[in-house]
Amino acid sequence: MLRSALAMLGIVIGVVAIATMGILGNSMVLAVTDSLRTVGDSVIVTPHAGGGGMFGGGGGVGSVDLKITEQNFQQIKRASAPNVAIPILQTSDRMKIGVGSEDIVAAVYGINPDDVPDLMKLKEGDYNRGNSGVIVGSKFAVDNNVKVGSRISIGTDGNKGTLRVTGIIEERGMAFDVMTDSAIVVTKDWFDNAYNRDDYDKVIVKVKNLDDLPKVKTAIENQLNKRDKIVDVVDTRKTMESIFQAFGQITTFVSAIGGISMIVAGVSILNIMMMSVTERIKEIGIMRSIGAQRKEVMAMFLYEALILGVVGSLIGGMMSLLGGYAVSTLMLQTTKYLFVPSSLISIVYGVTFGIVISLVCGIYPAWRAANLNPIDALRHE
Amino acid sequence: MVFKDVVKVYPLPSGDVTALDGVSFQVDRGEFISVMGPSGSGKSTLLNLMGCLDTPTSGDIYISGTRIGDMSDKELTELRRDRIGFIFQYFNLFPLLNILENVTFPMMLKSQKAVDPEKGRAMLHAVQLDDNLFTHTPMEVSGGQQQRVAIARALINDPDILLCDEPTGNLDSKTGAGIMDLMTELNRNGTTIIMVTHDPNIASYSRRTIRIADGRIVE
Repeated sequence: MLRSALAMLGIVIGVVAIATMGILGNSMVLAVTDSLRTVGDSVIVTPHAGGGGMFGGGGGVGSVDLKITEQNFQQIKRASAPNVAIPILQTSDRMKIGVGSEDIVAAVYGINPDDVPDLMKLKEGDYNRGNSGVIVGSKFAVDNNVKVGSRISIGTDGNKGTLRVTGIIEERGMAFDVMTDSAIVVTKDWFDNAYNRDDYDKVIVKVKNLDDLPKVKTAIENQLNKRDKIVDVVDTRKTMESIFQAFGQITTFVSAIGGISMIVAGVSILNIMMMSVTERIKEIGIMRSIGAQRKEVMAMFLYEALILGVVGSLIGGMMSLLGGYAVSTLMLQTTKYLFVPSSLISIVYGVTFGIVISLVCGIYPAWRAANLNPIDALRHE
Repeated sequence: MVFKDVVKVYPLPSGDVTALDGVSFQVDRGEFISVMGPSGSGKSTLLNLMGCLDTPTSGDIYISGTRIGDMSDKELTELRRDRIGFIFQYFNLFPLLNILENVTFPMMLKSQKAVDPEKGRAMLHAVQLDDNLFTHTPMEVSGGQQQRVAIARALINDPDILLCDEPTGNLDSKTGAGIMDLMTELNRNGTTIIMVTHDPNIASYSRRTIRIADGRIVE
């Protein structure tokens, strides 16, 4: 009885491991999907950084040496027509909110006012149309207690000028194009004047028909990288696909670790069933002598393995919800991805795997019991 | 039941052991036979062959005209279940089942479904066991009562032949005599009984004795 309970505990742990890892992996994918708000509809062009990372090294704020020239931008624009190519300027600077506050440092984006609605939505106020206004990221607004109408002095001692906040941008999370949550967005003209710039940090091409993404990417590369590699071109949809694929692989890997614990549990069921057969050899002999068929003896032991598997797996399935709740709370600080079908299916997989493993591990002991010689079994003490 | 020149050889690493060496005899319907002989003489091998738990190395065994050497394991099992009852020296009851469940177990094997326990109760009454014992496990009753349960179990599917391996070997003489009276009564009602025993007193209940030594029938 105790041995059976321990074997069942093994199955419970195996199911919890598989299902919890599955839930965690799926929740991570969902969490990343939520934070990667950028829909995969853009091609992002950054100056070639030579062996840079995913964002080509040009994505970092304040990259001063690598720029896209006006001529390059025109080429990109032509290559990507009729899609919209949006040039982006970016830096970081000191700034002060209101009078007497501490200086802070934040990212500053310079974007043509006509292009801003294509990239971001406002949760409050209006888009900035003139050179005296600015829109700010939602986190920036919260952190610095900025409201529509607040004034921000930019530069050391406000030497670049003071701008009035006209709107607050909706939270965008971690995005491939511009990360505005903790930044401010000024007009391109104001940025040009303030920072004396005539080139760009990146260009975002918004593609209307998603099937054109690879075509636009290739057209830009063919246009600009003919001789030397001048720009890195990233297709956001493809990048997102790669990220999800990587998460899928991680989920599979951690689930496989859970699977190993299940196999260990299966071996313990095999062991228990073998011991059970050994202990009941005489009983099997009596059964066979009074007319039990081999298949009936086999079924008896298979049922036992199945009962261990079903009870253990169902308990494990229920405990997986607690496990999923715990890991989601600890690692993702949210449980909102726990009760979604793609997470709950991990429990179904875990329970099914637990039952199947138990049954498979019961087959050999059951077969052995069924094929015992009745005379030898009867003589067994 | 007919044995014709039956040989049973057990191949062992140390060399073949001949347990039965050309045994021939016939048991007619309704007989009460005891098989006597010293240890290792081949009594148990004979009983196993009669009970279709084993098949002969050579020679033929016929039960109701059917040669058991031609039967599959499934058919032999069905023969044991439907036509042969076994009674063992050590009772061999299922320790986790209660007395009534032990008795009705072969019925369940035969019908493949839940059975009416009434026949089991009637059979237990026939072997003189009281109702209040039916829900006890075998370990909770005496040796004599356990053997009565074993007899009831052996008879539940109305077998033609009852095979008994030292049925009183584990009982005191008074209880053993009670069991033998019961078996005599069963034989009187038409059940063929073949009983292996060491004890001449027990063998005296039978109407014929087969003596066996070194795998051969000597008398």
